[in-house]
Amino acid sequence: MTAEHAKADAFFAAMTKVLGADGVNRAEETLRRYGENTMPAGDRRPLGVVYPRSTQDVQAIVRAANSHGIPLYPISTGNNIGLGSRSACEAGQVVVDLGYRMNRILDIDERLGFAVVEPGVSYQMMHDELMRRGNKLMLDVTSGPPQGGMIGNALDKGAGYTPYFDHFGFSCGMEIVLGTGEVLRTGDGALDAADLVNWHTSKYSFGPILDGLFAQSNYGIVTRMGIWLLPRPPAIQSFHFAFPDDDDLDEIIELCRPLKLSNFVPTLFRVSNDLYLCGSEGESPEYRASGGKRSISDAGRRALRESHGLGAWNVSGAFYGPSAEAVAPMIQRVRDHFTRSGKARYIDHDSAKAIPPLQVAINAFSGVPSLGELGLLKWRPGGGNIWFLPGTPMDGKIANAFQKICRKIYEDFGLDYTVMNVCGPRFARGLHVITFNRDDADECRRADECYKAMSREVAKRGVFVGRAPLDYHRFHMDQAMPSYRNACGAIKRALDPNNVIAPGRYGITA
Amino acid sequence: MRTNFTAEQLVDPSLREAARIIGTCDHYGFCTNTCPTYVLTRDENESPRGRIELIRAMLEKGGTPDAATVRHLDSCLSCLSCMTTCAVKVDYMHLIDHARVHIQRHFRRPLLEQMLRALLAFTLARPRLFAALLKARGLARALSWAMPSVLRNMLDMIPQKLAPSRALAAGTHLSKAGTHRVALLAGCVQQVLNANVNAATLRLLQRHGCDVVISEGAGCCGSLALHMGRADEARRLAAANVRAWCRDIDAAGIEAIVVNASGCGTTVKDLGHLLADDPALAENAREVARLARDISEFARTLPFVRPGGNFGFRVAYHDPCSIRHGQKIIEPPREILRELGFQVLEVPEAHFCCGSAGTYNLLHPDTATTLGRRKAQHIESVAPDIIATGNIGCMVQIGRFTRVPVLHWVELADWATGGAMPPALRHVALPPPQPLQPSIPDDGTPRPDVGFW
Repeated sequence: MTAEHAKADAFFAAMTKVLGADGVNRAEETLRRYGENTMPAGDRRPLGVVYPRSTQDVQAIVRAANSHGIPLYPISTGNNIGLGSRSACEAGQVVVDLGYRMNRILDIDERLGFAVVEPGVSYQMMHDELMRRGNKLMLDVTSGPPQGGMIGNALDKGAGYTPYFDHFGFSCGMEIVLGTGEVLRTGDGALDAADLVNWHTSKYSFGPILDGLFAQSNYGIVTRMGIWLLPRPPAIQSFHFAFPDDDDLDEIIELCRPLKLSNFVPTLFRVSNDLYLCGSEGESPEYRASGGKRSISDAGRRALRESHGLGAWNVSGAFYGPSAEAVAPMIQRVRDHFTRSGKARYIDHDSAKAIPPLQVAINAFSGVPSLGELGLLKWRPGGGNIWFLPGTPMDGKIANAFQKICRKIYEDFGLDYTVMNVCGPRFARGLHVITFNRDDADECRRADECYKAMSREVAKRGVFVGRAPLDYHRFHMDQAMPSYRNACGAIKRALDPNNVIAPGRYGITA
Repeated sequence: MRTNFTAEQLVDPSLREAARIIGTCDHYGFCTNTCPTYVLTRDENESPRGRIELIRAMLEKGGTPDAATVRHLDSCLSCLSCMTTCAVKVDYMHLIDHARVHIQRHFRRPLLEQMLRALLAFTLARPRLFAALLKARGLARALSWAMPSVLRNMLDMIPQKLAPSRALAAGTHLSKAGTHRVALLAGCVQQVLNANVNAATLRLLQRHGCDVVISEGAGCCGSLALHMGRADEARRLAAANVRAWCRDIDAAGIEAIVVNASGCGTTVKDLGHLLADDPALAENAREVARLARDISEFARTLPFVRPGGNFGFRVAYHDPCSIRHGQKIIEPPREILRELGFQVLEVPEAHFCCGSAGTYNLLHPDTATTLGRRKAQHIESVAPDIIATGNIGCMVQIGRFTRVPVLHWVELADWATGGAMPPALRHVALPPPQPLQPSIPDDGTPRPDVGFW
């Protein structure tokens, strides 16, 4: 037996004592599947999986990891498809699966509009609980998997589409097990007291704001978080516009910006290209013919648009109010605004409900988890999927220039430009989907090169990514200025001196 | 998922289909999120993705499967929740059926289990025999101490009180108006365990202008046999139904074949697939499948009579998996109940199976009990007066874990449109029905505890 094996066996023996035999999983098929992901660089088999039930269990796991020199990799529900799934940064790490047993909704305060959850609580679970309580509050959801974890998404800087779209921004008060095994409470929870009144209502309490240290980092394992909830509006009415040409993005961004700067439209705008919407409805009609070597043709895109009643670009937003009648005049003003140039085709709320990709938008604006967008994953066969997530300022010319750059790179690598710009007042996050056949080595290589080429090109123009697939964390950290990297490393050494929590995640090294 | 079947193996149409389905799985793993057995165990082999891998290995190897594989495949509920959540829409329903047929043909189960499965397949499909056996349940309970645990479990499943079984007479049950003409599948188990479901369905349809044909020779849909891997038996039962319905379709026309047990409905809608290789019946089977409608789909098209009365009871609606995942019908039963004045309550974890799953709760009582308790807890958390669902299996299973009366929603619809109070409610002290209140006032009136709109 090697020293590494002995170390691992000692760690798992200790874990079995703490968690019970069913709290440790080293079955062959489990290791294989937890190592799977959708990225080009291949799977990464973990050393084992452990299932804590409580913060105390997590502390015990972290302490044992320190004692035995075992690297950990915490996941919430493991639904971060396209960004890493349940796969650890490196083979040989122990996955701490918080989703199995730490999935309790600890509190919901209906008067103050917040919930307190453990990492395994999914959007669907919270939605179900709010429905059970009479549907008075709604949560902001992603348009991704309904079983995605609320804490995991917030910590990875995920977002939705309602006024509470910023999932980390609308979180409040965390409990974290640091790399030392100590428990830290952030915000008002830092008060050394038993009863904490403002932990999940006040973000800005005495002392430095430490919460941000735990977003996209590997400094600790978050075991509890407060999440703010929006009172559910009696009426939610969406509006949609289809634009015919790729270059209409310039006009669209200019039209959206003023509506968001004043917050006249309460939701973010989903500005999706044809393939982002049509791609969820079936496999690329040209994939098999080209063997995946070429991007879909313009004629193919036109045909898809026609069959689904969509445009080259499609804008969706929504109003909230006391009734459909009450918001109708606001929708009319938006309609006048968008159709002034004569290019936009208006699609009303009821018509949109019959178009599945637009129903996804309605669900998202309504705080209803839905599965529709997962269909994008079958645009090409073979299960390869990564997301490139840069952003642009809400300036039409710049956004359109970025479109041209990225569209050309996709085409250079024979992939299909698939993007949704999620637009706020000043900034739009560009959700670029790279779907590829992971069983085809050449297509994997092209997906990888496409991702890196786009990253380099936008970086040359001063744009960084907001989130990234696990395969590219080191790549992106290397794009950061040295002092930023040094600061991240110094914090890592302070909070996780033995580098046991997700070594390598987000490119942060001790 | 890559497969490695030989060309010789792929001559077999079943293996060819299985290979095609397996090849569509991309291992995303969304299915694991909603698979009841994986959620309970975190065992990869207890997940759809893991089972697909096991099926691949079993079918590629051919011959006798190993016992562990059989155990993991047996423990699948066939709830099809995985198919709803799968990003690439793997046709798991047909794949697991192929696997079960292979197991049935190649695996020798312990003798007692073989006998039990044969008994279930034979008895449940024959309502008269099943009813006769149920009459002896008192004696059987008295002798239960001498029975193997598996038989004791089965006895425990039988409701304490059973209304007399009344089979609907074959022939046409005319309505006053005669606006529609539909066939109704009288089924097998349901008419024995709760005769009022068929009776209420018949009354509801007749009251709303439907002449209802109970086709001579139509009976068990075959799904119970199919899910136990007895494909030949399932096809025989299905073929009998197709012949019976086609006779009536040819004779006088039928605009829909209405099914009020959703497990059966899923199978009837899939008859085109089940009988695809039967040259004499394939086309007729496709026609039957085309005409098949869950009662909620058909009833939603009817303009209901409303004789009056307040039915504002709190009704928790439980989606049977066969209707939510198998047939993708979610809103129609809820819409009907709301239209008829009931307050429909949404139950958390609605996508999750109650553990009934055909004969699953008879063959896997431990898992079924865990799931049944979990479902009942979720349902009771919304404090319902009544639980409504759309499948007899769910009714029996949920009824084991709650004191709240469990009905088929069609019994409530019959009651609210002029029928008698359902038998299951006659001896229940229901609270006074509440006037209907939308959960959110539609006039935008601000409430003290939520936002101002």
